[in-house]
Amino acid sequence: MKISEVLRTEPARPDEKTSTLNRDATRILRLIPVGMLFLILVVLSALVPYFLSVNNFVSILMQCSSLGLMAIGLTAVLITGGMDLSVPSLMSFSAVIGAIYMRAGGSPVVACVIMVLVATGGGCVNGLAVAYLRMIPFVVTLSTMAVFGGASIWVTNGMSVTGIPRGFITTVMHDIWIFPAPVVVLIVVAVVVHLFMTRSLFGRWLYAVGTNIRAARVSRIPAQQVLFGSYVFSGFVAGLAAIVTTAWLGTAGGTIGSEGVVLDVVSSAVLGGVSIYGGAGTALGAFVGTIFIKLISNTLNFLQASYYMTLVVKGIVIVAFVAIDSLFRRR
Amino acid sequence: MVGIKKSFPGVKALKGVSFEAYPGESLALIGANGAGKSTLMNILGGVVLADEGVVNLDGHATPIHSPADAARRGIAFVHQELALMPTLSILDNMLIAAFPSRNGLIDYRQGEALCREALARLGYDFNLHTQVRDLSPGDQQIIEIARTLLGKSRIVIFDEPTSSLTSRERERLFEIIRYMKSQGTTIIYITHLLDEIFTVCERAVILRNGEKVAQSLVRDLTRDEVVEKMIGSQEVVSYFQHHVRERGPLLLTVENLQREGYLDRINFSVHRGEVVGLWGLLGSGRTELFRALMGLDQITGGRILIDTGRGPHPVKPRSRKNPMGLITEDRRTDGLLLPMSIRHNLSLANLRSFISRLWPFIARGREEAAARDYVRKLNIKSTSIEQRVATLSGGNQQKVVVGRWLQTSPLLFLMDEPTRGLDVEAKAELHSLISELADSGAAVMFVSSDLDEIMSLSDRFLVMVRGRLVRELPRDSTKHELLATASGISSTGGVSEP
Repeated sequence: MKISEVLRTEPARPDEKTSTLNRDATRILRLIPVGMLFLILVVLSALVPYFLSVNNFVSILMQCSSLGLMAIGLTAVLITGGMDLSVPSLMSFSAVIGAIYMRAGGSPVVACVIMVLVATGGGCVNGLAVAYLRMIPFVVTLSTMAVFGGASIWVTNGMSVTGIPRGFITTVMHDIWIFPAPVVVLIVVAVVVHLFMTRSLFGRWLYAVGTNIRAARVSRIPAQQVLFGSYVFSGFVAGLAAIVTTAWLGTAGGTIGSEGVVLDVVSSAVLGGVSIYGGAGTALGAFVGTIFIKLISNTLNFLQASYYMTLVVKGIVIVAFVAIDSLFRRR
Repeated sequence: MVGIKKSFPGVKALKGVSFEAYPGESLALIGANGAGKSTLMNILGGVVLADEGVVNLDGHATPIHSPADAARRGIAFVHQELALMPTLSILDNMLIAAFPSRNGLIDYRQGEALCREALARLGYDFNLHTQVRDLSPGDQQIIEIARTLLGKSRIVIFDEPTSSLTSRERERLFEIIRYMKSQGTTIIYITHLLDEIFTVCERAVILRNGEKVAQSLVRDLTRDEVVEKMIGSQEVVSYFQHHVRERGPLLLTVENLQREGYLDRINFSVHRGEVVGLWGLLGSGRTELFRALMGLDQITGGRILIDTGRGPHPVKPRSRKNPMGLITEDRRTDGLLLPMSIRHNLSLANLRSFISRLWPFIARGREEAAARDYVRKLNIKSTSIEQRVATLSGGNQQKVVVGRWLQTSPLLFLMDEPTRGLDVEAKAELHSLISELADSGAAVMFVSSDLDEIMSLSDRFLVMVRGRLVRELPRDSTKHELLATASGISSTGGVSEP
């Protein structure tokens, strides 16, 4: 026997009942975000006047729309066990391109298409590098983050793009019932993507690839295509986020995708129960995580904590979640 | 070593083995797969601790706690899988365990001198700064051996040293071993290639099933005697009541299958309704053959033809039209999605059948029904189809893997060590299953290192040696014939060209 085999010989194990602990544990882990969200809501409603008003909720959801979209996109990549640091940079770059097009007199509709296409193209670049060139996701997306982030500042000479037609803004931001369209888009995307990931062929493939890519390959799952697809999707959603952000802010600039945003996007996914290790997490979870992050930010703002304090708090929260996730996985 | 006993969960690897070795001699340690040779040497090399028994060096009992401990006592182990770091230089690799130092910094000058001297003794003059990955396997092995010289080792253990060498490199290795013997080193040479023993060893110890069955001077043995002792009685422990099946029509033809470095011009065919035992020793390329058939590794030549009733036509291994299913050697690393449910794992290869054009989502109801169906058919003991597969016993896990492929109704099952690690009952169930699959018209090709098992189940044997399919043997072959063929000896007593 080779050494590797000696170490691998497994004990004959009878069916174990003790492992239900593990199953309950993961369920608890997934529920923690919701539980803590609830907790924070309670705390905030006590601290802040008018917190429990409909207006306030709608406003929070609106703040979440761009971030939530990006977090959902990132979730697809995280499930495969990868990472995409370039999402906010793709968003800002595509927003800038679209805005420049509109400023030059282009139609808003075409501009939206351009934004989505540019961002999706960026996602393709990531996907090609990771899936077909077999490069490490972290390194690839770190580079694309630098490239696209830098490009968006370079193209605009560091200034925000103004002159966006009013028509664009009002169309994108118009209300559907009580919600602004972006919020509706966020909710629809979250629900659709969630269903897709949990019920469709491609969704199953995503989870399989993230759990055990070797077993997936043996089972004839086109693992490389799945990986590629996850990055393309992430890019696509960044494009949607670009449309929303440009309309909300009324301008587009290189700064909208600045460094702090990546932290927020990853935190949202992680707090929403998406595992950094791959194979677990849902779009709805990411949605909840986004709201959670925004509430943390808002709370800290309200308590007049500095920006840097919020970074510290967010960082600690991420580490805590990943640690808990890792602990449960070991069992 | 005296009275060495070692058990692993579920298997007694060594049942009380004793032997001696002397300075300046080369002792062959022979045995079939699983006889215990590697375990015994792992104990000597400090990789594994014996349950009972004593290791005596120079007459003194010497407990060995770790590989580093063994190295300190002058025991060096050249493993079958070379333990070098590919991106480091020759110099760094050789010195890695013990860099000579001066004032807290590595003294490279002294180190270089030592390495050069060790290599010179073997007759080599490499550029010490070459990265190890740029060397051939044969040269890499020279580095490992030179490393043992640095440590002034008194005992050097070689584990299947020639498996990746060219014949020239092999000759060179034998020269080096002769040199080392002349220096008073004790060599322990593990192999199952019998001709090498007759070339380079003085004495031999033969193990079978964890016990020593013979110890003798090599010149007092014949090859046939060695094979006899390795397999014990010619009787086959029958695992399974085999019944003669009628062989169906031709299903698979493999022509000149080639994978550079691993598979060499493989030709064979398989018919429906038959169980083919793919036999060979460790490293013969059996797993690689399966992987190539499934398209998991890229082939560099040859083709695969499938006949579904309308004549043979070529099939790309990776395509979905390839009607084969693979049960891998290690279900935990590349067979199962451990954190996921039985239902999930069962449907993994067959998800497309649960989708319809109108509703592009997986029909949960049908998926559950199929899962329940196979759990019942295969008798998978579980609390529910949602139970996580990681919590099932080995036998049930293996059944999940089989069930997954069953759902796709493959025409040919490739099973790589399907009963490894399973208890007796689970093994029996799997044997019945294999037989039933063949009865129902599918074909099964399976790899097993358990000679009794493969002889009980197979309708015929294909024997591989070093990446080549050397012979096909009929069901009524003896253990001797099978083992001899796999060891590279033809039945006339000569050597079949590796």
